[in-house]
Order: sequence, then C-alpha cells, then structure tokens
Amino acid sequence: MTTAESPPLGTATDTAPGVVTLTLPPIASMVRVGRLTASSIASLTDMTIDDIDDVKIAVSEMITLLIQSGSRATITLRFETTADAFQIEASTPAVALDLGNNDVMLATAVLDAVSDSHDIAFAHDRILIRIVKATADQTRG
Amino acid sequence: MEEVGKNESIRVSIDNDGAVVAEGDIDLAGGPVLDTAILRLENKNPVVIDLAAVEFIDSSGLRSLLAASRRAQERSTVVVLRNPSAGVKRLLSITGTTEQFQIEAAE
Repeated sequence: MTTAESPPLGTATDTAPGVVTLTLPPIASMVRVGRLTASSIASLTDMTIDDIDDVKIAVSEMITLLIQSGSRATITLRFETTADAFQIEASTPAVALDLGNNDVMLATAVLDAVSDSHDIAFAHDRILIRIVKATADQTRG
Repeated sequence: MEEVGKNESIRVSIDNDGAVVAEGDIDLAGGPVLDTAILRLENKNPVVIDLAAVEFIDSSGLRSLLAASRRAQERSTVVVLRNPSAGVKRLLSITGTTEQFQIEAAE
C-alpha cells in the first residue's frame, strides 16, 4: 500500500510528494515494483535521468538485500523528497545481518557508487538501510 | 530465435548463432531465468550472452554473469558479453568486474 502524507492537493507545490511509504511482500517480483515507485517519485524532483537511474539501482539493491537477509516478512520503504535531496529508507524484520557476506558486500559497493551517502544497520531485530541522493540543484551548485 | 525462459522481468532466447539473448531486467526475479539459459549452453566455447536489450541490471543480476564467468574459467573458456547496454557497462565499471568478461561491442 502506498500513502502520501503531504503537501495538500491543489497547492502550487503539490507535485512534490513529501513523504511516501510503500509496503511490499518479500518476493522477487516486488523488486521491480519498488524500483518503479522510486523512479516515479524521483521524476517529480530536479533529478537528471542519470540520477534517476542511480535511484533505481539503489532501491533494487536495498529491496534485494532485505529479501535475502530478512525474516520473510513485509518490507517497508519510506521515500522523502526535500528541497535538496531524495532520502529512501527500507527495513524489514531479521534475525541477524552478516555485513561480511559476499552478496552484501557487492550490494554495498554498488550503493556506495550510486548514492551520496548510505547506511546499513541491524537493530531491534530489524535491518534498516538508508540512502540519500542529492537532487540536481545541490549537485550542480 | 528460440525463447527459453520468460517472466515479469526478463525474456531469454537462444539466437541462431547459439548466443543467449537477454531482454528486460536482470534482477532478483530475472537472474534465475538467465541462469537456467546459460547453464543449458555451457557446453559452448565460449558462452556468448547478448545484453543489448537489457534495460536494467543490479548486483543480483551481475552475480548470474559472474557465476557463469567463474564456471567458464574452470572449463578454461570465457564468457563473452555481446553489445552490453549502458546500464550493464556502468554496473561492470562500478563493481570493477569488467575484466571478468570478454566484451564484444557492436561495430
């Protein structure tokens, strides 16, 4: 299910969605759904086509990692657009997270290349992945 | 061309030259379909995979290609990536794995 919290419809800024949340079942076909949602939201910002491609890769890595490392429970994604950045958080329940696993290390290397910052944490029986991608206004000064 | 696998992410065929042709997305859903096709042709030397029509690839898709490369090396052969799309070339570059393959670009 997707929900948008702000801003109110009919205002001059109603193309900027603010916060959008998405919950997905932990199955492979949902990676594409998350990717398309992220790229649709990113297209409402000042991001370039290349930046949007980076967002698609990042979200794909995030959901894949959560499907493979999580407890086969619902994956929650939170997309937030601000004046200068697009922040995405993804989380799911898990028993543990092995950051030294080869697959996780490869995904981390990709996240490093396609985002401006990223963080992967395991706490309170959940894996949480967060990435930030600057929008065009900030990256181009 | 003979279609050998398909799902919501990817369509995989074998062309008249015996190359594996992937179209669509090589991700967590598409990777296993590609794996099956590659394994079917692993008696070929070299294994050729046409990636011109790949619209998206992530690290889970890359792992399918790297696994094929590893198996090919064990047979003293190589995996040829034919006409890799811009997205494929970018991911190979990001991950430093370009050297694991023989790249065959369009003329």
